[in-house]
Amino acid sequence: MLRLHPYRYHRPKELGEALELLREHRGDSMPIAGGTDLMPNMKHGLYTPSHLVALKGVEELHVIEERDGELVIGAAETLTRVASDPLIKRRLPGLARAAEGIAHPMIRNIGTIGGNVCLDTRCTYYNQTYFWREALGFCLKKDGDVCYVVKGGSRCVAAHSADTPPMLMTLGATVDLATADGARSVPLTKFFTADGIWNTVREPDELVIRVRVPIPSPRLRTSYQKVRERKSVDFPLLGIALAVEIDDSHLIESISLVVAGLGAKPRVVGGLDKIAGGQRLTPDIIEEVARRAHRQCNPLDNLIVDTDWRHAMVAVYVRRAFEEVLGQPLAAA
Amino acid sequence: MIEALRLTVNGDTQEIGVPSHYTLLEALRYVLGYTGSKQGCDKGDCGACTVLLDGQPALSCILPVQEAIDREVTTVEGLAGPDGPHPLQDAFDLTGAAQCGFCTPGILMSAASLLQRNQSPSNHEIREALSGNLCRCTGYTKIFDAVEIAARALRENRPAAEVVRA
Amino acid sequence: MKLEDFRGRQADSAASEEELREALEREFQVIGRRLRRTDGMSKSTGRTLYADDITLPGMLHAKILRSPHAHALIKSIDASAALELRGVHAVVTGADMPVPYGIIPWTRDEYPLCVDKVRYIGDGVAAVAAIDEDTANRALDSIEVEYEVLPHFLDPEEALERSDTPIHEPHKPGQNGNISKKVHLEFEDVEKGLADSDVVIEGEYYFEGTTHTPIEPHCAIGYFDPSGKLTVWSATQVPHYLHRELARVLELDVAKVRVIQPPVGGAFGGKSEPFDLEFCVAKLAMITARPVKILYTREEVFYAHRGRHPMLMHYKTGADRHGRIKAVDATTIIDGGAYSSFGLVTTYYSGQLITAPYQMESYRFDSTRVYTNKPCCGPKRGHGSVQPRFAIEVQLDKIAEALDIDPIELRRRNFIGTNTRTINELRITSNGFLQCLEEVERASAWKSKHRKLDYGRGVGVAGSCYISGTNYPIYPNDMPQSAVQLQVDRSGRVAVFAGASEIGQGSDSMLAYIVAEELGVPLDYIRILSADTDLTPVDLGAYSSRVTFMCGNACIDAARKIKKLVCEAVAEAWNCKAKSIMLAGGWAFKAEDTAQKMPISEAFNLAEAKFGALGATGSYNTPKDIHGTYRGGTIGSSPAFSFTAHVAEVDVDPETGFVEIHKIWIAHDCGRALNPLLVEGQMEGSVYMGAAEAIMEEHIFKETGLHNAPSLLDYKIPTSLDTPEMQSIIVESIDPEGPYGAKEAGEGPLHPSIPAIACAIYDAVGVRLDRLPFSPPRVWAAIRERGRQEEAGELSPWKSPPISVPLPATGD
Repeated sequence: MLRLHPYRYHRPKELGEALELLREHRGDSMPIAGGTDLMPNMKHGLYTPSHLVALKGVEELHVIEERDGELVIGAAETLTRVASDPLIKRRLPGLARAAEGIAHPMIRNIGTIGGNVCLDTRCTYYNQTYFWREALGFCLKKDGDVCYVVKGGSRCVAAHSADTPPMLMTLGATVDLATADGARSVPLTKFFTADGIWNTVREPDELVIRVRVPIPSPRLRTSYQKVRERKSVDFPLLGIALAVEIDDSHLIESISLVVAGLGAKPRVVGGLDKIAGGQRLTPDIIEEVARRAHRQCNPLDNLIVDTDWRHAMVAVYVRRAFEEVLGQPLAAA
Repeated sequence: MIEALRLTVNGDTQEIGVPSHYTLLEALRYVLGYTGSKQGCDKGDCGACTVLLDGQPALSCILPVQEAIDREVTTVEGLAGPDGPHPLQDAFDLTGAAQCGFCTPGILMSAASLLQRNQSPSNHEIREALSGNLCRCTGYTKIFDAVEIAARALRENRPAAEVVRA
Repeated sequence: MKLEDFRGRQADSAASEEELREALEREFQVIGRRLRRTDGMSKSTGRTLYADDITLPGMLHAKILRSPHAHALIKSIDASAALELRGVHAVVTGADMPVPYGIIPWTRDEYPLCVDKVRYIGDGVAAVAAIDEDTANRALDSIEVEYEVLPHFLDPEEALERSDTPIHEPHKPGQNGNISKKVHLEFEDVEKGLADSDVVIEGEYYFEGTTHTPIEPHCAIGYFDPSGKLTVWSATQVPHYLHRELARVLELDVAKVRVIQPPVGGAFGGKSEPFDLEFCVAKLAMITARPVKILYTREEVFYAHRGRHPMLMHYKTGADRHGRIKAVDATTIIDGGAYSSFGLVTTYYSGQLITAPYQMESYRFDSTRVYTNKPCCGPKRGHGSVQPRFAIEVQLDKIAEALDIDPIELRRRNFIGTNTRTINELRITSNGFLQCLEEVERASAWKSKHRKLDYGRGVGVAGSCYISGTNYPIYPNDMPQSAVQLQVDRSGRVAVFAGASEIGQGSDSMLAYIVAEELGVPLDYIRILSADTDLTPVDLGAYSSRVTFMCGNACIDAARKIKKLVCEAVAEAWNCKAKSIMLAGGWAFKAEDTAQKMPISEAFNLAEAKFGALGATGSYNTPKDIHGTYRGGTIGSSPAFSFTAHVAEVDVDPETGFVEIHKIWIAHDCGRALNPLLVEGQMEGSVYMGAAEAIMEEHIFKETGLHNAPSLLDYKIPTSLDTPEMQSIIVESIDPEGPYGAKEAGEGPLHPSIPAIACAIYDAVGVRLDRLPFSPPRVWAAIRERGRQEEAGELSPWKSPPISVPLPATGD
């Protein structure tokens, strides 16, 4: 069996205790919630902290409630819960659907929303065993200094591969972070960086405590399109989140489109308000949005799948997102 | 480092000593001797290690053993009781849903959890519930049959063999 | 104590008199019924003990150090630091086991651990036994290996050209060391056949490598007892060959080696030869005097491989205007990977096994298996013939289109018939292929669908044949291919000792059904003890779909010997003729008067009193006069062939290239279905595996020779949501030599999946995919290409009314 390295497993009951442990062992500890991403990564020797700080038992991280016009989701809530919670399904059906499409039932039962937001980036040259990576020659994301995706590249381009962040970004979500020294809030659109090695602004001893999502207008329609080889288990080859606020006559009040699964950072497709804001949602507008998304996204060989195809699929699935949006009922008030 | 833990597996609470970097699967198979749960892929990709954690299917091969503390773990060995096999097990036997049988324990746990939540699952709901458990022998068809038969057996409170005959 | 106390109580559940009267009306009592498996409940309750479920007292764990280079000389190995680690008991290297092995006696080109050279990334170099896996892993890290890296070849065509850097020493001086095997055979005049054809279709096909992916990783345990006897438990499907090779390589008396095969958690051909772990646990157990276990990681399973060979196939097929095949000309390059494995056979099979179910007037094949620096390929379900079957069936579809003949009709016209010989002289006996075609044609409503469904949806058909065992064993000998020993207890319990390997296919159950049929014993009074070389007679193994046919016949042979004695003893007691005694439903009874009966255990006791202890052996050997008369004509020869036809219906998303297999109808001629439930299980499992190869599986490598992604996340096998709907139709041609007329069902049904899907995709969207797998990017690119050709007026739109395919935005 593929072995784990030795570590000490801490099970704090309170947030303060968890943060304290992370500070105390800064540099040699990692938080673990569901561990569905971290455990395989540790079996691959990608992370070898001596201390794991378990978050599932921390009461403060478990909450799903409406508060001050926002839906608040504790970081340790499982993806199964996010996908099935009645409040989330009513208020944020797009998020529930994005969560429902993650991996498979057992992963969703244990994996958490906080973990999904903080999911490590993925690359065909990275998510492999120590033996494999050593045989290849270590890459710059872990243990080495070369990039096999971009020859001669010095910046890691591993792919952001989580399903909920693109949807949360279109919904204007914010993450609340905390360290032993204090707390801060970061809009999710500012949470990710274009560095595949560590693609968030989260500090190693900092925890995502919760995700806050403004309760959307009842006119907001959303779609999450996930492209993958199999209908279960797989990470996205491409994830497209669309949120459009339209009135009954299909006049666009706002539009937000995020494409994930290609580079280290989910890409917010820019300039859409210019072409679509205040316009009626017509096939021409949709085509123009698809064209823009296609132009702004450039997949790399960081996954095993053909990049030309992945590139072309951006436009196809943007159209499909619009089709779904136009066919779907309005979110409940 | 050896850690002393108290685990509740199939209703029995036991204090055991395990290396702190063990997964629940390793503790079950190599410390407690519950070899029914299998290791197929090493890292959460195949579902052969599926157990129930407080009734919900979970992958024991990527679950730190400490996460099972204060929770009820049910393995395939816990599905059959003194009254005989679980209707699912009977239905699997009846339909030939277990060929090599290696994925079977994991599939049974996912299916048992499904039937707890849903007494009349549709074919799609069955497929969905089992979508984290890879089977390489059957093409899944006999497994779907077995789960449907077991669901009917449970609903109608009669043996799976009678359901098939009916 | 009374005699009754010793007898079993099966009479309690035995058949009623009415049931016995009904039994007289039936040909079979057990055979042909949808019965439970003998191991079904044990598997369904998680009680079955597989190799890794076995723990022995004082057991050590071993790990194997693997080569990080695709091709390199080993200059030195220093394991001194490893040996000094606390908890490390022994280290072995190639020098400790310098005897080459290989499943085919003529091509022994592997060592348990590499001796002077590594040939692929993952090749075993050293092994460590330690108190636990963590310690063994640490020890591996401290072993220093010095390599001299050599150029490596991943492409067989490149390897062919580079004979200056042979992966193996040439067999003879001057030969190309990168050629593993070459076969060239011609039957009748192919050039003339092509010249006489009204239509000739030429195509190049590429079958990508795929791997078995059993869910159970390989595992073995070695134990060397102080008296000098070696026992190896292994998840193998060939305990007999493993037995021989262990003794030979470890230089032990073969009588002092015992191989026990626990139930295997899936194999599909992937466990059908010895592997490094079996030699290593044995050697390490001999050195340490402790039991030693090795369990492969999933990654190691991918390196062990022995999966489907990638094949590049060039086909020229000629037919007359009625669609009758006049010539087939095939040239095939086979990518063998680093070693021979079954490669000699694979090379023959790539040509030998496609000469049925269709008659062909002339046939030629030229196959070359080439070594490359990748994990070794071998036999995967449908060994060697799944790849050429893809090529020839798609060729037939193209011919049918060119001649405007329905592809099912075209296949009918070429039907080879029963009790005949193929062009390469293989003997065909029973043949239910025509009925298979009819069944799938009817069930799928073919006539209302082919070329008639809307754009995006299509149907395709394909046929195939497969062997029921190879006529000749892997090492030449005249002894039986399979044998069974029965032992009868006074309780009525019958024990079956058989060398056959239960790998999930149901071989244990098959034996129980036969004994129950012959001796009238209830199934739960039968114990199967299989695949233990100390206890069971030889069976050659679970490969080439041989077990039901061969071990089944051996079992009938043994059971009938006992049956004869039992009937004689009962007849004597009742003062009647032995032939009027029947054994069924837990009774011995008189056919003319079912009221005259006794519990079967009593009948056994009478026989034991009259003849002494009740036991019998039975055996099966193949007929030796049915092969081709040319060199190589024995390979491909089989006592019986199974036949299959598929219709696949698919939906193709033209915008994305995703192929959704809507349904597959499978009709398979298995001779007689001993248990239809298990036959269906084999059919469905085969179809699923073939469909997966068609649309998602590919066993591929990075440029350095490193496996692309050795995990069950990245090597895509279908989930429950991806598996197609299937309808199994069993066709029973009743083979004259099979047990009760049975033939194989475990491999044949896979073959047509891939060409049927390819042809269905063509029917759906008008693109030919001659390269596997039909993954979305490939299908998408092909559709785009066709769209371009349609726009340029080179092709007319596919299906009418014409539907324009929206091309994805290409950006500015």
